[in-house]
Amino acid sequence: MAAISPEQRRIGKPMPRWRKLLPNYLFLVPYFVFFFLFLAGPNVYGFYISLFNWDILLPNKPYLGFGNYQELWLDKLWWLSLRNTVLFAALTVGGNVLLGLFASVLVKQQPPGHQILRFLFYTPVVLSVAVMGVILARVFNTEFGLLNYYVDLVGLSTQKWLGEQRFVIPILSLSTVWWTFGFPFLVFLAGLLNIPEPIYEAARIDGVNRLQSFTHITLPLLKPVTLFIVVTQFIAHFKVFGQMWIMTLGGPGNSSYSVVMYLYDVGWRFFRMGYASSLAFGLAAIILVVTLINFRFLGGRVEY
Amino acid sequence: MAIETRTQEPTVDYSLPFWKRKTVLHRIDMAVILLLLIPIAIATILPLAYMFSQAFTPEDQVRNWPVEYIPREPTLDSFKLLVTWPNLPIMRWMLNSFIVSTSVTALVLTINSLTAYAFGRLEFPGRDFLFIFVLTTLMIPGEVTLIPTFVIMRRLEWLDTYNALIWPAGAGVFGIFLLRQFFQSIPRELEDAAIIDGCGKFGTYWRIVLPLSRSALIALGIFTFLGSWNDLFWPLIALNSNEMRTLPVGLSILQHEGYTMQGLGMAAAALTTVPVLILYGIFQRHIIQGVMVTGLTGR
Repeated sequence: MAAISPEQRRIGKPMPRWRKLLPNYLFLVPYFVFFFLFLAGPNVYGFYISLFNWDILLPNKPYLGFGNYQELWLDKLWWLSLRNTVLFAALTVGGNVLLGLFASVLVKQQPPGHQILRFLFYTPVVLSVAVMGVILARVFNTEFGLLNYYVDLVGLSTQKWLGEQRFVIPILSLSTVWWTFGFPFLVFLAGLLNIPEPIYEAARIDGVNRLQSFTHITLPLLKPVTLFIVVTQFIAHFKVFGQMWIMTLGGPGNSSYSVVMYLYDVGWRFFRMGYASSLAFGLAAIILVVTLINFRFLGGRVEY
Repeated sequence: MAIETRTQEPTVDYSLPFWKRKTVLHRIDMAVILLLLIPIAIATILPLAYMFSQAFTPEDQVRNWPVEYIPREPTLDSFKLLVTWPNLPIMRWMLNSFIVSTSVTALVLTINSLTAYAFGRLEFPGRDFLFIFVLTTLMIPGEVTLIPTFVIMRRLEWLDTYNALIWPAGAGVFGIFLLRQFFQSIPRELEDAAIIDGCGKFGTYWRIVLPLSRSALIALGIFTFLGSWNDLFWPLIALNSNEMRTLPVGLSILQHEGYTMQGLGMAAAALTTVPVLILYGIFQRHIIQGVMVTGLTGR
């Protein structure tokens, strides 16, 4: 009787568990290299940097503990930029939600050409902020801008739209609404198309008029979509930089100076990387708080 | 008798779109809706029309009132000036933008689809933990990583190179989330059949799952390309030599460094925009569906 060789024995023996699972993990290896190098790593490293007086040009970087955060708390320019940014974000989100909702409710009725309108409304969203800024800086130019041309045409007095403190943030907001309202518009439209038509039919039979069906059916059923839009839009517009960077450079005075502009100046004009990092974490904390508040007020389940 | 007369009343077929319904009331509705929507559409298009018209207007006429949307003497002077201006290598900027955006798109599609396949279709211990771990990073705004990533790039001596703009995109999370969702909707049976036919796990991913996910991959690809093409902040930080700039950075420099000629800036803006508008025109269905189904932003 011939002895069974080890090779023969291996046939029929199940593969060890780790051999079977190894390829599954291999699929993840490339991503996790990037993940740790450029996402998770930098998040932790950023916090570490924020504990130091980290001037990128100097060899020694003294440890400060939470000194940067204390300085931030007392920094007038931080609070001013925060005030500007909150104002800008609130106006922009409000404008975007109202205009997006208004346009989507009308487009949902499918007037002739509704697909062309849908296409047009989203067009500005695909532009770069740099392009948008260059165009709208010309539109709102004091001497030869498009807006002043029409203002003059209807007989009103022309204004320094981007050169006056009381106008600058609302004008930047208006520009941003022009640029981005196509996004909430499409998301609202998708939300509206998801509301089952029989609900409206039933209401119509019960003698409910259009305004009532809008306030009692459409708005409550759009709550989750609205929450999604308000949260994502607030986060996006709270990080505003490009519009100011191109159109106003934070002026006049510091009246349109935003948090991310301040971050840019601290980090890349003054090279105070530690302080800039603490500023970034301040920004993150505010975004988190506002998101939670939104969930508190707009959250909650919707029942059909 | 009474019942019969009631059936004579004009009924509205609500399954038809508004404008095909024959009642007068609905035609009035439709007219009112258009009356409200058309001004919005005009306001959306006007600034873009203004950009193109200014780009083709002779420099000595760009400040003229009344504004002419169709220039009386259209000219390519601004474009010619832009292309030949020694300090504004706009063709090089465009090349940079193309190289960076294409590489970023290829990188994101490769890495994210591999990862999404593992998270969505394979089973192994720790899978859900890892997925949630990755998702939680979405809570932290990207601004937090700017400074540390800059410091890392400086150590690697990748600042002012394509590397600084391309590689960080590999850590993107959103595509994983999107593709995982899509992969999970593919029927299992197709994969099982492939495995019986002797396909390995990679073979199944490559030959079955990817081809079936074309539309999701196109949507992700387009959004990634647009996002990278349009990005201003990170390239502004990571690049400093003139010939390494991408188009948006070049455009912002043009705006700041005292190039007071109107036509020049508008011509540069138009050159930056045309590729984007072409892409939008070709892939509008994917883009609009992408936003409506997944809430992708496109920036």
